[in-house]
Amino acid sequence: MPSITTFNTSRARSYMVRLPLFTRLVLLAILGFWLVGLQSVWDVRQWGALIPKEMGLATLYRMNTFPFIHLNVFHAVMNLLAIVPLLERFEAEYGTLTCLGLFFGPLTTIPSILYVLVEKGLGANTAVMGASMWVFTLLGLEAMRTYKLNPNLVILGYSIPTWTTPIGILFVIAVLVPNSSFLGHAAGLGVGYVAGFGLLKYLAPPEWALRWIEGKLNLLGRLPHYVSVDQKTYGRFGVLPSSNSSTGGSGVGLGLVGTSALALRRDPRMLKVPPYISLLCILVGAVWLFLLPLNEYSRRTYISENALLPGQVHTYFGGSDQNVFRAYKQEVNALAEQGKSNTEINGKLEEIVRGLGLKTARQNFTYAAAGRTYQGENLYAILQAPRGDATEAIVLVAAWENVKKEVNRQGVPLTLTLARYFKRWSLWSKDIIILFSPDSIAGPQAWVDAYHDAHDTSRVASLPIKSGALQGAIAIDYAQEHRFQSIHVVYDGVNGQLPNLDLINSVVNIAGGQMGMGVALQEMWQHNDQYPDRLRTMLRGMLKQGLGLASGPHSSFIPYHVDAVTLQPFGEGWQDEMAMGRVVEGTFRSLNNLLEHLHQSFFFYLLMQRERFVSIGTYLPSAMLVAANFTIMAIFLWMKSGQPAETSTADIKSGSESDKSTPPPTVERELFLPIGVVILCQTVSVIPLYLFNHVPENTLTPLFGLFFLINTILPPILSNLLTTFHRPTLQQYNLIKSFSLLLLGMFLSSLATLNFSLAMIIGLLSAPLSFVKPFPNSAAARAVCFALLNAISPAAVLLAGAAYWKLSVTTILTEAAVAWHVSGTYSSVLVWCVWWPAWLAGCVTVLGRPGDKEEEKNKTKKA
Amino acid sequence: MRQFLSFFLVSLISFCTLSTCAESPTSSADYHEQLVLRPLPLSALLASFNFRSNITVSEFEAHNFRLFPRSLAQILQHAGTRELHLRFSSGRWDSESWGARPWDGAREGGTGVELWAWLEAETDDEADHKWLTLTNALSGLFCASLNFIDGTRTTRPVMSFQPEGDHPSLTEANTHLLFGVLPHEVVCTENLTPFLKLLPCKGKAGIASLLDGHKLFDSSWQSMAVDVRPICPAGGECVLQIELTIDMVLDIDRSKRPRDNPIPRPPPGHELPCNTSKPYHSHDTCFPADHEASQDWTLSQIFGKHMKGTCPLTDPAVPPVCLQVPNSRSVYVSDGVLEKKNLDRVSRCFEIRPDANFEMVLPSPSKDDQQATSLIVKPEAPLLYAERSFTGHGQERGGVQTILRNPSSDTEVEFIYMESLPWFMRIYLHTMSARIQGTKGDDNSVIQEVYYRPGVDRARGSQLEVRMRIPPASTVFLTYDFEKSILRYTEYPPDANRGFDVAAAVITILNKDEPKTGRFAAYNLRTTSLLCSLPTPDFSMPYNVIIFTSTAIALAFGGMFNIMVRRFVAADEGPELGLKLLKTKLKSRFAALFKKFGVGKAKGDQTKEAEPQPAVTE
Repeated sequence: MPSITTFNTSRARSYMVRLPLFTRLVLLAILGFWLVGLQSVWDVRQWGALIPKEMGLATLYRMNTFPFIHLNVFHAVMNLLAIVPLLERFEAEYGTLTCLGLFFGPLTTIPSILYVLVEKGLGANTAVMGASMWVFTLLGLEAMRTYKLNPNLVILGYSIPTWTTPIGILFVIAVLVPNSSFLGHAAGLGVGYVAGFGLLKYLAPPEWALRWIEGKLNLLGRLPHYVSVDQKTYGRFGVLPSSNSSTGGSGVGLGLVGTSALALRRDPRMLKVPPYISLLCILVGAVWLFLLPLNEYSRRTYISENALLPGQVHTYFGGSDQNVFRAYKQEVNALAEQGKSNTEINGKLEEIVRGLGLKTARQNFTYAAAGRTYQGENLYAILQAPRGDATEAIVLVAAWENVKKEVNRQGVPLTLTLARYFKRWSLWSKDIIILFSPDSIAGPQAWVDAYHDAHDTSRVASLPIKSGALQGAIAIDYAQEHRFQSIHVVYDGVNGQLPNLDLINSVVNIAGGQMGMGVALQEMWQHNDQYPDRLRTMLRGMLKQGLGLASGPHSSFIPYHVDAVTLQPFGEGWQDEMAMGRVVEGTFRSLNNLLEHLHQSFFFYLLMQRERFVSIGTYLPSAMLVAANFTIMAIFLWMKSGQPAETSTADIKSGSESDKSTPPPTVERELFLPIGVVILCQTVSVIPLYLFNHVPENTLTPLFGLFFLINTILPPILSNLLTTFHRPTLQQYNLIKSFSLLLLGMFLSSLATLNFSLAMIIGLLSAPLSFVKPFPNSAAARAVCFALLNAISPAAVLLAGAAYWKLSVTTILTEAAVAWHVSGTYSSVLVWCVWWPAWLAGCVTVLGRPGDKEEEKNKTKKA
Repeated sequence: MRQFLSFFLVSLISFCTLSTCAESPTSSADYHEQLVLRPLPLSALLASFNFRSNITVSEFEAHNFRLFPRSLAQILQHAGTRELHLRFSSGRWDSESWGARPWDGAREGGTGVELWAWLEAETDDEADHKWLTLTNALSGLFCASLNFIDGTRTTRPVMSFQPEGDHPSLTEANTHLLFGVLPHEVVCTENLTPFLKLLPCKGKAGIASLLDGHKLFDSSWQSMAVDVRPICPAGGECVLQIELTIDMVLDIDRSKRPRDNPIPRPPPGHELPCNTSKPYHSHDTCFPADHEASQDWTLSQIFGKHMKGTCPLTDPAVPPVCLQVPNSRSVYVSDGVLEKKNLDRVSRCFEIRPDANFEMVLPSPSKDDQQATSLIVKPEAPLLYAERSFTGHGQERGGVQTILRNPSSDTEVEFIYMESLPWFMRIYLHTMSARIQGTKGDDNSVIQEVYYRPGVDRARGSQLEVRMRIPPASTVFLTYDFEKSILRYTEYPPDANRGFDVAAAVITILNKDEPKTGRFAAYNLRTTSLLCSLPTPDFSMPYNVIIFTSTAIALAFGGMFNIMVRRFVAADEGPELGLKLLKTKLKSRFAALFKKFGVGKAKGDQTKEAEPQPAVTE
């Protein structure tokens, strides 16, 4: 029996190779039945399990089939692990034929009959399956045998009979393993004990008959791994049926520990398999992503924080508040139509808010990005919780302009009306801060930064009055003038950070459940909750997350761990602005209930419908697999670069076989050039990052054109320079690729935990880089490959994106620069400093012409 | 405010000269109560209830308590307390709109519960022991968690507090000032009930009959104070004075809502006060014109009930109710009430017959005198505005910023700023700086003196007292940084983890002419409390981990460890133990018995019996 201490792979292998015939058959049968059980057409478990109520003459076969059938893979594996050593010992002792006779006869039927009778007696009908009954029978036998040799085990002076140990195991398993059949095990154990008392010889078929059969059929000669009944004549294993393999196995077994690892390293397959593994990783990663919208992989959302109680309160906003709303709307319209400046608008709004008895303050900010300055003045008001102590606050944001530069014509008056309405309630436990920002991105960002004192005082003014810790924020983006149908919840934060799922669930619950209006996500105005729509929602969400841009006034709150969403009414319907106000009221009442900061639910998720999501544990493996593909390839190329540069497979084979003891010479790796090239690529990448974030807006497009040109001609130039001055070898090209992929894999796997979507997008777009290789002989292949690589260069992808969404390149680049300077989006770092250098190194590899001279030199060295 | 105060002082002094000083100390004038109502801007109303009684020290020591609450007196005697100040507060005073605080801030505490007392004790240890007795006893008396004021929440202020009473018999050495604060304590009805029981009329008659938990705790700001101090008039016998004060700011709109329908439903459109001058005004469009206007109320609307006469024990010389509105406003009162307008033209008092129910109506002013100035007395500006908030984000470090503004254009303000911080906020004293707005860098002239006692983890909070001076019409930013310690998981309170409340900072503005008036502080104020969030484990996780690891250890590690440390000895080598010993002993006994009785038995039996013997010993 193998024990843990002496475990080693080669020994385990030899043990497996020496397994006798019946044990093998049982093993295969169990595995076979498990495989059969995978399909869903024929329920093999129902067919073969030992079900007391179904026992009859026609179903007696169940008595023999149930040990082979298992519930699931764990059940099967655990039972296999238990039964193989026991059965192997038994068979080695009694012979294959005896085993066959016993295990298809008395040792199986007696316990099962016992079990069925007891079950019927108890009036129960519990189906059993699995080889564990055998395990206990064999354990009982073993225990009785041990008892004969060594009757007592003395622990602390108490002597414990050794035959009791299986009973201990029986109880432990009954307690610890779920769904284990205590009765079945006990029946097996009982029969084992009885058999062990010496009754086995009455149960077993007569030895002379077996010997006769064996002799007549010449089983020993015909069947491999057969164990003879007559051990006196033929020895324990007959004529050592597995002599070939066992000598080989024992040779390995006697070898040094780790020989197998060495052998594995030298295995020629090691140089073949990794690219396929890598490809498999990419494919599995991509397919995984597309499985997520299925019901089996996504989950329904639920409210995790019990304190929220969304939709449990009556909302009273309405009635004459609508008259007030109309008046405020007149004021706002007047301001919007007169084209007043930001300060004048704030002046008017401040007058109104002050009239409500709220404290107001203003804050100036100036941001410079893409040659433009974004400046403005935030106005905010604090509605102090009537009985509160200024320790916590929730924020209601109404930007004057939304992200599409439309004036928030309904949102601003609605916020004013809500402020007036909220003032009347005395139940607020948290202060309510009303924020009017001139735009949707820079204003809220400046305000939140200053609230947390993380602002640059030279550009963003400090806040004159403050309240407590922010617990949540809701932004209203309500520019459409007519009645609406549903609410669009925008939840993407800067850099792909997301608000707590409980907040979104609360809004969905209040708007959808209580107010009876629809809720849409990710601009999916229609959603039928079928696979295509779910996938589309998820992919849109991933794209937004990957870009990492601020998507609304709420985005800037999320990096400070303040959960926030923007609510956007849309569509043609019958819901009016009061309904929208009631949604906000309901959400605020929920947030007001919070006893602690939102922490219960998920922060990492992909939403695919308003009530369906996948959490990080389910989706992360796909990005990780894609990132792992680069690492696998990098390690593979490193190993390959250490191998001698022989090409014929025959050579490798002979080498591996003949030089078992002496390892093949590892080739010296020339690291200077590859490391230099990779460092150069990484260093150069800072230039586009700096330029695209710092040139003024009008030069962005020319700069991009220039960059595109350089991007196309830089790899050939670099490659030519390399070949002219250094003439790198194939090994060096492999190393260049290895290092650059290693970096890429490292960056992407760490990014996957922060911004899954960005890691996934970059990973998939740079997946071909794993498989590029130099073409020393074919210029045409080189050109085609380079052209294909150019099609997936960052610049080309940017152009394609611009064409697809019908945006100008300038808009995209300006947006990126603004995001970099205002919100602190780091996506451009990933694009220019991670993806682009990897792509550049890949192009250099494709265009490489490995030097012949070096190869010749190597050859002569070898000879 | 100043007028209000001067009025009050005048009334106090007159009261003193009339009652305490001229008459015998045992007269009925030992108790008086007064309610002062003062409308504030933004439709708020300040109601100050004051109840005061005296007892001579000799009577006190003779346990003849009379009007002094016996329950409290016994506690004070037992704990050796010479002077006691207890505060229950909630909400915040909006000094921007409401101006200076009532009583110059002397009768209020920070959010939660505050307690400070001068104890008579020889040593610090004795003082701590007495403090423990005092807090635990008060905790029971007031149904508050005062017993949680332990060493970590107790400080010994050095500069901020001075005794209010006269302590001729005590010396510096044997008086100890201890100050404890519970910022998280929620003040509620259960604290009001024992408070009312301390009054001679128990809330059944007099102004105390207006006190009602629903109204008191629905107020925007409220503070309940208990002050006990000895007063020794020159030449007279020392008296022990207890003063109970309740101040609250009621929102008139909110208070006027009927109790059975407290939901602020939108009023019908035609009842909405509108600004009709707007060009778009129509039946369905209304620019609201509320908030300033709401200054009409009646006493029963505001407090939900009538005032039931006066307390018969009260000194009739002190009018029970005063109202501070300009004399030009008309006020209607019920029968049997005599209105007396005071000379300062902004206050009037009402004398009430003991058996008459008192009701007062402030009608909404007529159209012509709608100017806000004539409706209410303009509040007086406080000496200092203070606002404190956290800076920074994240769970490792943070900062505290206090903005202190001196509104006066010609006088500078000198004050003591005191913080008692929990031990898990470790402050970096070197980062403390005071910057005057508009200037760069620190201003050395602002901070005069610093007293700092660093905290000790899990034993003592840190205490910071800073004497500062702010020049006229300037704003000072006092900032310092701190580090958040990591708590052990058992140290988190069992409730939902909202964060940890940090007590309000106590600001005591020094009285410049202290020698003349004898008052140490010219004005007191408290900042709001803060909520400090510490790194918090997901509490279900430790339990999962504990259960999981315990199981793993019990199953795997336990057995393995047992085998590793156990010395295995063959059974016949080791001493016989336990059951086996018993078994062999029994066997030998039985064998002996058999021998005794079964002498005549066959020999074969004996040999059979002997046979298992080796198996047993094996």
